[in-house]
Amino acid sequence: MIKKQQYAVQYAAKRAYVTTMMEVVGRALAALTREDPVARETIERLPEGFRFAMTVMPDGPGLMLRKNAQGVFVYEGAPRPGQKAELTILIKHIEHAFRMLTFQESTAQAFANDRMLVDGEIGYAVRLVRALNRLESIILPKLIAERAVKEVDDLPLTEKIQAATRVYGGVLKSLVDTGIKELSRQVRAA
Amino acid sequence: MSNGFYEFFCPVKVVAGDAALEHIPFELGNLGSKKPLLVTDKGVRGAGLIEPVVAACEAGGVEVPLIFDDVPPDSSVEVVREIAQLYLNEQCDALIAVGGGSVIDTCKGANILVSEGGLDLSRFSGAGILKKPLKPFLVVPTTSGTGSEVTAVAVIADRAKGVKLPFSSGYLLPNAAILDPRMTLTLPPHITAATAMDAMTHAIEAYTCLARNPLSEAYAAAAVKKIAVNLPKVLEDGSDRQARLELAQASTMAGIAFSNSMVGLVHALGHALGAVCHIPHGVCMNLFLPYVLEYNLEKGTIREALGELLLPLAGAEVYAATPADSRAEKTVEVIRTLRDELYTACKLPRTLRETGKVEKAQLTRIADVALDDGSIIFNPAEASLEEVQALLERAW
Ligand SMILES: [Fe+2]
Repeated sequence: MIKKQQYAVQYAAKRAYVTTMMEVVGRALAALTREDPVARETIERLPEGFRFAMTVMPDGPGLMLRKNAQGVFVYEGAPRPGQKAELTILIKHIEHAFRMLTFQESTAQAFANDRMLVDGEIGYAVRLVRALNRLESIILPKLIAERAVKEVDDLPLTEKIQAATRVYGGVLKSLVDTGIKELSRQVRAA
Repeated sequence: MSNGFYEFFCPVKVVAGDAALEHIPFELGNLGSKKPLLVTDKGVRGAGLIEPVVAACEAGGVEVPLIFDDVPPDSSVEVVREIAQLYLNEQCDALIAVGGGSVIDTCKGANILVSEGGLDLSRFSGAGILKKPLKPFLVVPTTSGTGSEVTAVAVIADRAKGVKLPFSSGYLLPNAAILDPRMTLTLPPHITAATAMDAMTHAIEAYTCLARNPLSEAYAAAAVKKIAVNLPKVLEDGSDRQARLELAQASTMAGIAFSNSMVGLVHALGHALGAVCHIPHGVCMNLFLPYVLEYNLEKGTIREALGELLLPLAGAEVYAATPADSRAEKTVEVIRTLRDELYTACKLPRTLRETGKVEKAQLTRIADVALDDGSIIFNPAEASLEEVQALLERAW
């Protein structure tokens, strides 16, 4: 039996991981739209000044991005209390965010599994999910990416590594590794 | 294979079968209603489908003093407002929608206004905005396809702003769906076929897409069987009451299935084709269904699920005679044969060209719109623009 306190410790650890990953994904998504024409095209139809937020209910952590005049995302940190975005993905619980951001559950599957809500136009949400898939397929090691997205983009490996280094791939990989290790440690503990 | 997690919700009472309409007074009584507002459209009224509803109510001690019969084919915020005002002015205490998808969606919108107050519907657009139950609401479907009587969504056009407002909340669901064979008896063959293929698509996509779950699967498989068996019967003899009722039930069951597991690329393409070329939804579903299944199959995402559907679709003998590893292909083949029969019976187009309403130059635009459609998220294969374009070429 796990005691209530142990759960609390696990949730606290997961919250810490998710907090870091929200920033990493935010910065990576911004970098991706700077470096990758495909990702840029994905968000092309979003109006200038469009804000995208992804946040965990009830009060974060989260990330906020804004599309600038050059058509790329700018990372704006965590959403401030009361701050509204044109599109917000609301993840219902820190546990679901942890699963998504350790890439055990793809964004699309998380939608399908009712792990999150969309506040905003669904057409925009479709584009953001696609951008997230693109990000995951580019920056994650192939094994993890296959689990995280429906399909891994068929990029030549060199291009992949190149793109990965440009979009904070190293940071992300080590983080995900740590997150998954942390998870398996907790599974063993449980 | 099912996912490790799912949610399933359907609090709608289904009242189905012979003399179902005569249960309306009792259901209204249960809900504490004495003065319902009946909402319908001119087509339904012209087909003489309102008389049995009103007569059943009055004989059961419920007066139906008000009938609003001016719902257009595409519901709009103006009409919703008109209905809400009528409801409030006349101090009604329940809504009865008698019609197809547009009438039902319009009524869902009107129920928001009469329950929440105000006349600005856009305030309630989005997911999960409504926080409390709405007024008593019954639905009597007059087509067998949309499943709107059991879906927690509505789409209502705001023409002034040029947008379609989406609404999504469990509170939009009616208290009861009344399925009476009389209500679909006069539906002409091509509408019967198109709407039935919409229901078939709901069932098949619910069974094969990302949010499939054991409860939806059960409803979906049962719906596939009912449609496969009864659609040919109804097309042969439109006055077959039992077969009509089976189709109505199948439509509701498929609606329950897909409102809990969503739909996929057939719907994304169908919504796009509908928006760009103004082709009825059911026609689009019938058209795209085999092409999308083949695409998903090629991508290796639905083989097992599609193979399982051969049993309800074609029956035990065909299923048993088909080797396990070719059942998925056989399912597509059976669907194609069914479509050929529908084409012979009522000219339901099987290709984009056969619609006579699509220009080849529009394919890029259709692909583009489909890629922004919410349903595409739940398609098991991640479809790119190029792939969707190729699929449209195949469907040409
Ligand atoms: Fe449909």
